[in-house]
Amino acid sequence: MDFDDTPDEAAWRAKVRAFIEEHREELGRRGDEQRFDDQVARARQALLYDGGLVGVTWPVEAGGQGGTPMQQAIVDQELARAEVPGLINLIGIGMCGPTVIHHGSPEQHRRYLQRLLRADDVWCQLFSEPASGSDLAALRTKAVRTEDGSWRISGQKVWTTLAHLADHGIVLTRTDPDVAKHRGLTMFVIDMKAPGVTVRPLRQMSGGADFNEVFFDDVVVPDEERLGDVGDGWRVALTTLMSERLSLGGGGTEIGVGSAAIAEHVARHVGDLPADRQALVRQDLGRAYVDSLGTRYTGYRQLSAISRGDLPGPEASAGKLAGTKSARDLADLAVRVLGDDAAYAVGADGSSTWQDLQAVLPGMAIAGGTDQVLRNVIGERVLGLPPEPRADKGVTFRESLAAAGA
Amino acid sequence: MNFDLDDEQRDLAAAARDFLAGSASPAVARTALDADDPAAAELAPGRDALVASGFATITVPESAGGGGGSLLDLAVVAEQAGRVLAGPSLITFARAAVLLADDEERLARLVDGSLRVAVVDGTGPVLDAASADTFLALRGDDLVCGPGAVDVRAPIDPTRGLGQVVLGDVEVLATDARLRWEHAERVGRVVLAAEDLGAAGRAVEIGVAYARERHAFGRAIGSYQAVKHALVDAYVQVEQLRSLVWWAAWAADQAVDELPMAAAAAKAAAATTLTTAAETLIQVHGGIGFTWEHDAHLYWRRAKVDRFLLGDDVAAYDEVARLAIAAALATGGPSPEAGARAEAAVAAR
Repeated sequence: MDFDDTPDEAAWRAKVRAFIEEHREELGRRGDEQRFDDQVARARQALLYDGGLVGVTWPVEAGGQGGTPMQQAIVDQELARAEVPGLINLIGIGMCGPTVIHHGSPEQHRRYLQRLLRADDVWCQLFSEPASGSDLAALRTKAVRTEDGSWRISGQKVWTTLAHLADHGIVLTRTDPDVAKHRGLTMFVIDMKAPGVTVRPLRQMSGGADFNEVFFDDVVVPDEERLGDVGDGWRVALTTLMSERLSLGGGGTEIGVGSAAIAEHVARHVGDLPADRQALVRQDLGRAYVDSLGTRYTGYRQLSAISRGDLPGPEASAGKLAGTKSARDLADLAVRVLGDDAAYAVGADGSSTWQDLQAVLPGMAIAGGTDQVLRNVIGERVLGLPPEPRADKGVTFRESLAAAGA
Repeated sequence: MNFDLDDEQRDLAAAARDFLAGSASPAVARTALDADDPAAAELAPGRDALVASGFATITVPESAGGGGGSLLDLAVVAEQAGRVLAGPSLITFARAAVLLADDEERLARLVDGSLRVAVVDGTGPVLDAASADTFLALRGDDLVCGPGAVDVRAPIDPTRGLGQVVLGDVEVLATDARLRWEHAERVGRVVLAAEDLGAAGRAVEIGVAYARERHAFGRAIGSYQAVKHALVDAYVQVEQLRSLVWWAAWAADQAVDELPMAAAAAKAAAATTLTTAAETLIQVHGGIGFTWEHDAHLYWRRAKVDRFLLGDDVAAYDEVARLAIAAALATGGPSPEAGARAEAAVAAR
């Protein structure tokens, strides 16, 4: 057991670090920008791509480096350490791209993949709908084949991160309502600038607006943009979701904010409190801090497994579940120690760091799999507990809609 | 990075499992609980068999006849001991091995079983006092050793052999021994957390097995999210505890400056996790879960006692917070909160 890099890993880390040093100012720092500028973010990703630090695990033919997940994890660690802002095309790289690699045509590979890695094109993933979130396979957006072989897509997607900036997306549609819900789905690449696509930003409880609702009104999509066979969209979507797990492989990176930063913040405030109050604050800090350490070292176990060449399994869901919880507890404490400022959105000194974080974290327990869905995944696929009976099993999608009175 | 057990440690775990599961069990713990005289209650595997197995003194150097192994090796064994509620505790042997590190003669007697020792913390209940006749204690800054009078009172968990100890004529083994004492205490906390890891992991297994076979309202109760999610939450805690135990044991072996934080975190997490796992085990079983005949309460008893051993969980959480605050004040870098502010800004975007 050791926490050190192997010689190969150390050499790779040194290379990554040197690149970041060399381009330190161009890469920028988290929190530098008052407003998010997608052109700056695209340029940053292009710079990193040209340095070989984007798409590390992607095959060389797909524009990647043909590297290992451990090398990618090292890149992630070093970028985080240097406070380099996250990649704009994170969803494209983690989810859309792998789906195109696995199920797309050679022509689609040529057209899309390298541009995606360089953020020449930004991608979004169009899965959730107003009537189907956790129950993704119950989605209603229709794709209907026309006489010339192309498809017409109509319907609505929601919670679509970056749709307002995206050039392309992968969209999961229903092509046959008269079979079971999982069987009648088909996946396409869609041009987000095509006629009939309307994007409306949604404002989140934190005040930010980086996700959207997306309307499709008879949008024409050529058959060449289909990913996988007609009716095979569920299997294609599973590739996307598996890739998401790989891209979020954990590896001990913390959700929301580092526990060390919270400890530092608490350390500077706790002395102002009466002694009995200090003791209570230390209990809160101790509990949340232990949880965050548990999450960090569990992430290191996953990283070790990745380093051996294992793929992250369903147990990786535990990292997000536990990490979200400890992040929320730590943020709650961070706001609490602000004293009289804790009830205001902005402190007397003009800072709103902790209040902002507090308002962001409830969404973390929902985005990318709700806490409840993750518990089902762990319960059923790790512990082997039986699944909840499905009321829509053994019926067609049309019948299940009728039964629900929809 | 390789944060995992190696093949030898896996083999060690398998061997320990064979020995411990073959000799100890919750059923033996129940029998001990039924004993009329708690001082005479039989533990399994018991002090003699545990010493004879060699597992108890893995961390004693080979020069003194011990196993010459690491604390991580012992933690791997302790997890197996916890699964079957074995007694006496490996904590006692691990602490004694540290305290007697430069006393070859006593170490040899620890290994051959003739030194039946327990470690006394202040005036509180002493772990494994019931099976001991020699006691190690800290007086001022002196490490002392000698006989003592043991009063074994009605136990909540009979496998811990708790008793009140009044020391007799003691001999000073070492002066200026406070640091060594504190190190031994931290090593003990790691082993405690490892035993609790085993007990909590086993409690979740038993609960999962029952939830798969027990039916209510026409289906297995484990298919209901209320039951499933409770078991998942306990399982996630167990896996987090496993990571902390491995880290803390590794720190004791390889990075002793990380040990105070790691040992306190492992101790605190162990108390919380075993409580969650044992209470979930009872709840999932319904009526049968709180009968005398069922094993659930034996794990629950372990939880209710272990949380107070080597300092209670509240003190351990407090220590974690104090260490984290002290570390933050010590570093106090040029851009306080920079990372946090930045990440919050990104997340809020």
